[in-house]
Amino acid sequence: MAASAHTSQMRSLNVEELEYQRAATGELVGQAVFSALLVLLFFQLGVILFKVLEPLIRSAPGVLGSGLKVEETLTRAIASALTLLAPFAAYGACGARLRGLAAFDRRRALRVALLAGAVVYAITAMGQWVFQVGPFAEKPSLEMSFEQTADGVLITGIVAGGTADKAGLKVGDLIIAIGRAPTDLAGLKEKIALSAFESKIGLRIARDGEEELVPVEVVPVVEIGLAPLVGGLLLALFIAVAAVVWPGGLTPYVLMILIMVPLLIGYLWLVVASFSYRTEGLLPVNAAGEFGGFTLGNWEFLTRAGTSSNPSIWTITLNTLVIASLMMVLVLLVSSMAGYALSRMNFPGRRSFLSLTLILHGFPAVTLLIAIFFVLRNVGKVPIVGDYFGFNTRGGIALVMVAFELPLGVWLMKGFFDNIPWDMERSALIDGASRWRTFWQILLPQIRPGILALGIFAFISGWGAYLIPQTYSIGTKTATLAVFISQRTSETAPTNWNELAAIGLYQMLPVFIIFVFAQEYLLNIYAGGTKGSS
Amino acid sequence: MRIMLENLTKRFGTVVGVDDITLAVEDGEFVAFLGPSGCGKTTTLLMVAGIYKPTAGIIRFGERVVNQVPPKDRNIGMVFQSYALYPHMTVFGNMSYPLKLKKVSKEEQMLRVQEVADKMGIGDLLDRRPGQLSGGQQQRVALGRALVKQPDVLLFDEPLSNLDARLRLSMRGEIKHLQKELGITAIYVTHDQVEALTMADRIAVMNRGRLEAFDAPDDLYDRPKTLFIAGFVGNPPMNFLEVEVCQENGAFYAVNQGLRAQVPPERGEPAARRGGRVILGVRPEDVTLADAGEVRGSVFLVEPLGRDDLLDVHLDAANRLNVLADPAAHIRAGDTVTLSLNMQRAQFFDPQTEQSLLWR
Amino acid sequence: MAYATQMAPAGARSRSQAARARLTAYGFLAPAGVLVLFFFFIPMILILFLSITNLATTNFTTDVLKMATSQDPRYIVWGDNFERMFADAYAPKILFNTFFYVLSTLLLFNVGLGLIISLLTTHINRRAGFFFRALWILPRITSPAVYILMWKRIVASSPFGILNQFNELLGRPEANYFQGDPWVFIVMLNGFIGASFGMIIFTSAIESIPKDLLNASLVDGSSLLQRVRHVILPLLRWPLLFVITYQTLSLLTSFEYILLFNQGGAASNNEVWSLAAYNRALNTYFANAQWGYGSAFAVVLVIIGVVMATVYMRVFRFGELVAEPKIEVL
Repeated sequence: MAASAHTSQMRSLNVEELEYQRAATGELVGQAVFSALLVLLFFQLGVILFKVLEPLIRSAPGVLGSGLKVEETLTRAIASALTLLAPFAAYGACGARLRGLAAFDRRRALRVALLAGAVVYAITAMGQWVFQVGPFAEKPSLEMSFEQTADGVLITGIVAGGTADKAGLKVGDLIIAIGRAPTDLAGLKEKIALSAFESKIGLRIARDGEEELVPVEVVPVVEIGLAPLVGGLLLALFIAVAAVVWPGGLTPYVLMILIMVPLLIGYLWLVVASFSYRTEGLLPVNAAGEFGGFTLGNWEFLTRAGTSSNPSIWTITLNTLVIASLMMVLVLLVSSMAGYALSRMNFPGRRSFLSLTLILHGFPAVTLLIAIFFVLRNVGKVPIVGDYFGFNTRGGIALVMVAFELPLGVWLMKGFFDNIPWDMERSALIDGASRWRTFWQILLPQIRPGILALGIFAFISGWGAYLIPQTYSIGTKTATLAVFISQRTSETAPTNWNELAAIGLYQMLPVFIIFVFAQEYLLNIYAGGTKGSS
Repeated sequence: MRIMLENLTKRFGTVVGVDDITLAVEDGEFVAFLGPSGCGKTTTLLMVAGIYKPTAGIIRFGERVVNQVPPKDRNIGMVFQSYALYPHMTVFGNMSYPLKLKKVSKEEQMLRVQEVADKMGIGDLLDRRPGQLSGGQQQRVALGRALVKQPDVLLFDEPLSNLDARLRLSMRGEIKHLQKELGITAIYVTHDQVEALTMADRIAVMNRGRLEAFDAPDDLYDRPKTLFIAGFVGNPPMNFLEVEVCQENGAFYAVNQGLRAQVPPERGEPAARRGGRVILGVRPEDVTLADAGEVRGSVFLVEPLGRDDLLDVHLDAANRLNVLADPAAHIRAGDTVTLSLNMQRAQFFDPQTEQSLLWR
Repeated sequence: MAYATQMAPAGARSRSQAARARLTAYGFLAPAGVLVLFFFFIPMILILFLSITNLATTNFTTDVLKMATSQDPRYIVWGDNFERMFADAYAPKILFNTFFYVLSTLLLFNVGLGLIISLLTTHINRRAGFFFRALWILPRITSPAVYILMWKRIVASSPFGILNQFNELLGRPEANYFQGDPWVFIVMLNGFIGASFGMIIFTSAIESIPKDLLNASLVDGSSLLQRVRHVILPLLRWPLLFVITYQTLSLLTSFEYILLFNQGGAASNNEVWSLAAYNRALNTYFANAQWGYGSAFAVVLVIIGVVMATVYMRVFRFGELVAEPKIEVL
């Protein structure tokens, strides 16, 4: 793709080169700034959402009941994404506009990019200043400066007429506590940062050897430090220049990885946590809260003996294995038989069966969970059968999951059979085979990849299933690993997250191995037999 | 085994696949079903095989009506266009499969498969899988699988169309030879008329589900009963000209604007009796370049075929003739030529009924 | 005459043969049929029935016949559940939540992100593209229990939360994501799973675009973005429509991850319609199971499901049904 893009560039190079040579630097800067301004419109949109819509929504009466409002959350999320990202995108856009020039005059392109980047930054900063966002956002402040000393936090400066001045604080006062809680510089800063505007902080100060409690109102203040401004400018210039020289082929890779960050950190945490004493964020720490604390202790669950109320991991694993294997075998058997009949046989009602399969394929079976609860309860009353396939049995749980996967399975299998040439089956029939034998000896071996894919899919969904085992089992007799894990995150008892991570990793291990070896099959199957749709 | 098809008809919903076909294949005979694609020849074959059930009509093997007999009880062998070898079995597995299903003992399976395989020249490939074989080898395996059960009837569904030209030529001879040697009744479906003409004892020409003709190759070629047969059999195809046949002084002449050719009486008489305009058919090889020819025309196109040049000669705005000429004559497009027609082999057809005026 | 005598036995045999052929076909279908009967048809009727009863923990029985006939206690309450549902103070909120959840997840992730991933991965090295797409399958095959475990740690408060650790590094104040902005994360964690469905569909559609078409537009001097806009996207119309309809239905009824994440939050803040049905009828956490009332919630979805699935079948697949088998024995 990159090579072909290059040739197309070569083709039109002469015309472009002429244009660039004719254009004055000012004109080029203008072009770059213009494309950046287009991107900055999104910043504007974010500001409007943030400044106008969000307060409006917040102050509106709760039409849809009390509590957190969806629309408020949404507005805030979109607004912060826009205001945060749009400036960076703008710097990038103004650099990207100059890539054509860079193709034959890189030095000039870089000079123009620097100029344009500075202009765009100035525009952005002005916008941020006008709307008081970004570095110009109002922050809660007490309008005084202070520093840490051995005795407490010493006030080193007071803004005349400010809120601290009004409250009666003076330079040289020593802050020792907030209310009754002793504090240091970091604590005080965090307290101020988290305070709402117009709320009051009670500062316990020591002045001339006497302690006194002074309530100070928190006011919104715009503090403009030089550092963020200069830092912002440098960042803008860097992005603009980088966008000029950036190898375009790398962009999709970087984007892909950026998009995946939440997933990657999740799995990274799982691995780190399972081998460490405790984690703070992604950092493994020991009992004292320092980096380290690697341990295998979380894996002791593997050797713990079970009790009647608290079965060992092996009992649970066996449950899970039985359910997953049962599910795999039944899904394969039942859906391949039905798929064969629908694909290769002619019988009255074939069309109805086919449309039924399709409707069921689209129908969300989970809506029937409540009713199936009663079906299983009643199946449980049937002698013998009920002991294996009733409520709270592994068979019953597996059967429900088989039924839920069935429409997909039948549809997929029908598709696989459809692709086998008719002559193959005709030949077998002429050789003297019955339909059953043809199915079993001639056709099934030929759709082995399909069977493998569907089998893996069924096994994985059975192995990780949570909802159905959770709904149709009581206690731990028939619990699967997923149910076991979720039971241990209950809010009533303290959760041992690190042991849970280990159990989670243990549960994921077989799935992950299958994943490594069978990605291709899995990718195909998760399209859900939708080949014919496009 | 003699095979009788009586008023055989097959409809798929409202579409007629095969329309009222009656014919008999004699014991040991090699019959080809020839026709353009979609003419119903494969459908007929699949009905003989028992894969399709006839909508109406009767199929007899010998005296026995087999309409309801499943394929496995008909004792037939079939070779498919795609060979339909079972990809997950070895060559031995493929060839012994029909025997296995007949519950033939293991030892006899080995013996019979080896025997047939040796005859087919694939005796040393028995452990391979179909995917590892060349097209020709696969073809032999498919044939071997059909033969190993010692069938009463052999069915072929365009078995050679996936092979390259040279291999096709040699397999043609082999199949024909095997069939005669074993004396098995065979039905061979093909759209390639050279195959049909060279291999078959008789050819059933089918068109749009109907049986157009059922005759020996010579009869089809020299004595076509319909305009369709005349145009379909033979390559390059027969030339057709609209003429009037008139009798002058006891001699018959085929006449149109630029043509006046004498016709032998046994051919001219029936055409003249029909009167009015009739269709004259002349094969390209029966038209020769001759200075004293009956027709003049200008050469529009020259297609070198190797042994001959095929000329497209325009007589006038409406009439044109395909002519086979000796390349040594160095005819070029734009030349004017005179042609002579061999009227000893001329065919005449009724333009309305499209039936031959010479042969019934 | 000979003709007639031979046809008679053949006719009789034909009838018995046809019957046997049908039996073979139905034999192949039987196991699937039994499962469909017990886990689709009977439940569908049962849930309609349950929705007109007042079945709850206090008058629990599994005996359907008793529910239908008993006078003491009386089970059948006809439309009471539905009246109660329409009057439920939380119902408007749950309805709004459902719309919000379905729409934002669908547009941002299942369609939006799916499209972005498929476009990105089809425009890089083939193997790398395949690798990235395979990675996106990972959340789908991770057990929901483990997947939610990870997300709970991502959003947890200091010092355990991963996002809050980043906040700390960047000098930003700590945020209470789990209680403060649960919707953002519910949409995200569902979307990261849903994106792969669209991704696969779109990828195969993009890859099936004839190379000549793209080359032609290349020769015309189009840029990458222009090709996406003018060649690829127009050809993705049907796949897009398919993903939208199919995923709307599945999002409408998927609640497993919300259930695991925060059970729908306090005061039904994050409860969607399907979760509402589940919570009322089956969630042991809420102690008092109201099967009748829950069924009324579920019936709404069952009806939507049947209608949409039928429409979906008509629009997307009906043509495929026409092909008839090409073997007529047994």
